[in-house]
Amino acid sequence: MVYEFRLPDVGEGVAEGEVVKWLVKEGQEVKENQPLVEVMTDKVNVEIPSPKKGTILKLMAKEGEVVKVGQALLSIGERGEETTTAKSQPTITQPQPKPISVPTTSSQAAKPTQKPHEILATPATRKLARDLGVDLALVQATGPAGRITDEDVQRFKQPGRVSVPGAVQVTGPRGAEERVPFRGIRRKVAEHMAKSKSTAAQVTHVDEIDMTEIVQLRQKAKDAAERRGVRLTYLPFIIKALIPPLKQYPYLNSTLDEEKAEIVLKKYYNLGIATDTEQGLVVPVLKDAEHKSITQLSTEIASLSEKARAGQLALEEVQGGTFTITNVGGIGGVFATPIINYPEVAILGVHKITKRPVVKDSQIVIRDMTYLSLSFDHRVLDGAMAAHFVTAIKQYLEDPKLLLLETD
Amino acid sequence: MTQKTETIVLGSGPGGYVAAIRLGQLGKETALVEKDNLGGVCVNIGCIPSKALIRVARLKMQVEAAKQIGLDVSGVKVDFARTQAWKQSVVDKLVSGIDFLCKSHNVKIIKGTGQFVGPNQVEVASATGKDVVETKNTIIATGSRYFDLPGFRFDGTHVISSTEALSLQTPPGNLVVIGGGVSGLELGIMYANLGSKVTVIEMLDQLLPGTDIALVKIVERSLRRLGIVYHVKSKAKEYRDGKVYATLEDGKETSFAADKVLVAVGRRPNSDQISLEKVGVKTDSHGFVQVNKRMETNVPGVYAIGDVVGPPMLAHKASKEGIVAAEVIAGLNSEADFRAIPGVIFTEPEIATVGLTETQAKEKGYDPIVGRFPFTALGRALIAGETEGFVKIVADKASNLVLGVHIVGPEASDLISEGALAIEMGATVEDIGLTIHPHPTLPESIMEAAEAAQGKAIHFLQK
Repeated sequence: MVYEFRLPDVGEGVAEGEVVKWLVKEGQEVKENQPLVEVMTDKVNVEIPSPKKGTILKLMAKEGEVVKVGQALLSIGERGEETTTAKSQPTITQPQPKPISVPTTSSQAAKPTQKPHEILATPATRKLARDLGVDLALVQATGPAGRITDEDVQRFKQPGRVSVPGAVQVTGPRGAEERVPFRGIRRKVAEHMAKSKSTAAQVTHVDEIDMTEIVQLRQKAKDAAERRGVRLTYLPFIIKALIPPLKQYPYLNSTLDEEKAEIVLKKYYNLGIATDTEQGLVVPVLKDAEHKSITQLSTEIASLSEKARAGQLALEEVQGGTFTITNVGGIGGVFATPIINYPEVAILGVHKITKRPVVKDSQIVIRDMTYLSLSFDHRVLDGAMAAHFVTAIKQYLEDPKLLLLETD
Repeated sequence: MTQKTETIVLGSGPGGYVAAIRLGQLGKETALVEKDNLGGVCVNIGCIPSKALIRVARLKMQVEAAKQIGLDVSGVKVDFARTQAWKQSVVDKLVSGIDFLCKSHNVKIIKGTGQFVGPNQVEVASATGKDVVETKNTIIATGSRYFDLPGFRFDGTHVISSTEALSLQTPPGNLVVIGGGVSGLELGIMYANLGSKVTVIEMLDQLLPGTDIALVKIVERSLRRLGIVYHVKSKAKEYRDGKVYATLEDGKETSFAADKVLVAVGRRPNSDQISLEKVGVKTDSHGFVQVNKRMETNVPGVYAIGDVVGPPMLAHKASKEGIVAAEVIAGLNSEADFRAIPGVIFTEPEIATVGLTETQAKEKGYDPIVGRFPFTALGRALIAGETEGFVKIVADKASNLVLGVHIVGPEASDLISEGALAIEMGATVEDIGLTIHPHPTLPESIMEAAEAAQGKAIHFLQK
């Protein structure tokens, strides 16, 4: 009997996934629970296991194709069986009478794929890369088993990218071009950002913050934290200063349900932490931040960002955010206008702390200064509330003792 | 007297002389300092003489066994003194070859013992006096020497190192080998083949520590056939009145009669006799000189290669590192970027490995597949009468990428290079399986193992 396997519901709220890689071929025998395909959903990769034993008759999606939940992925049957259903069915989504559940337990179903990252290239190609000054880690591999070829290195090192002294420009006046597949996380980020920009009415409010007290506080706490094995950054302090204002101005921690014409105010505080990875932006979510201590926050952020960079986040670790923080302070810049992590309604940009002369009590003094930038959805709240909200954060950051007055 | 040169290479082993020749090829003025014969341990008292003697011992065994295949040679006798002379002629040929190659590349050979006296200054002491050589670059290629063992003072007659063991004029009656590592087993097996009664005492829990136990098991079988007695987890305590006293695994105290005691318990780097402190070159806690991928030490202009920079202590690793150091000195963009260094053990049968074992592959996060092919199923191995052992290929399940090749069996040392090439090239088991291997030859075993990894070996029934 031919069994048509459709993209199962791999997690709450996932409606579609991109076929990243087929792990089986047509005609291949598979065992029950053998991974069939790597699918990217909501910024994490999951391996979908086979619900049954049999022969792969037909793969019904191409790598890079986006497949909706319930859409046919492949058919499994006995060797030699015809995929009659597949033939008669158009590739568009068939309405499913019942959602198909994941055939095994969810932990098995949604296993993040983790592969050791190895740079594969022949010794001669590695030498070519060294001679051209190309870092192989940055080169897109097109060879089998992920091998980087000479051509890949050459393509990466085209005139126009980096000028080679004495190099003759043989390509057109605009220089050669490299075509990078627009897939995976990059495409997800693109869709997500475009959707946010085209849906929310985004405004950015910026304020200047005197971080001197926090800098001193962190300095004091750092050694104690280190003894507990925690590397203390500024982010947990900012989160601490952010929670009371979020409670005070609940519209900042909400979503807009346009269909029902309601604003959903969330009474839990799950903070997305925008994280830069080799593949692109990933936003792991720090759950129930309001109940956590500075050291707990530190440890969890470290663990989430490490997982993000290794591509090992589980689906539930990127879902359920209510407000997002993006911290580019480590890199530099004055301030930015972050794009809201839709469907959330606000995002806080945290920037570099620098010593600057400021006027305090009519004196010019040197203080540790930074900017906070809050982008918010003007459909849901107005500029005054945003300004109040940032002012409240500012007050806690400039005088962290006030945090003692807060519960949790 | 003060001399000047662009580069000094300290030590002329397989690392040092190779570096010197490459420097010469690249037009760099080079001096090669050697206190002994050119070629170092490898050529004079290591790889080469040991393989020469092993060849003779194996040949004797094969001729004796040839009766079964209709070649009846009676009265096989080994004239060991003559064997030794022949061995020495092989060594001498290689040494003079190195001398010729160095001179042809304008490498100046300085005989004497070198040590740093200051930055860019090396003093060479010889019978005729001391010379200071000023240099821009120095390559430390001083190699390693064997460890000694408490209770077993080398006396050159009864308690001997591998150096003396390779120069005996007659095979010893009773040979006790302390250390069941590579050189201990190689020499132990060689002398057993020549008629010695051999006992091996190893402190750790297996022979050839660090080698996949599945491979070692095959060698253990042949040790038993050769009548070699071996004890693991046992401690040799002292040599007294012609006997080696030891505590065995079960705690039993015992002694073994020994005409010769070969102590082969590992090697240590020769980094302590060249006054590194005068230039501030950093070593680690074991005395290994610390280098980066360009073989540069922490001191600009000072490079180090081979055994002195750390394990694996292998001649072929030293040579590749020597080339890298030479090219870096000449301003080329070279790096020791090899993905895999093959290791070979000339036991009976031979063991050769390259890349990851199945366990190591799992530890690195791979989901490995394994293909195994036994030599009993191979025509050429049957013809050779050497059917013990197997080839095992470890590959990544998702990409089929070859991660490791492990061989125990006939000519494993010659077979392994295909595995090394596969790993360096990023080949998959499909690549190896789809490559035509000539029939009937031993390398077919690698092709079959690659096919077995994909569940489709032709000449071996897979479950």
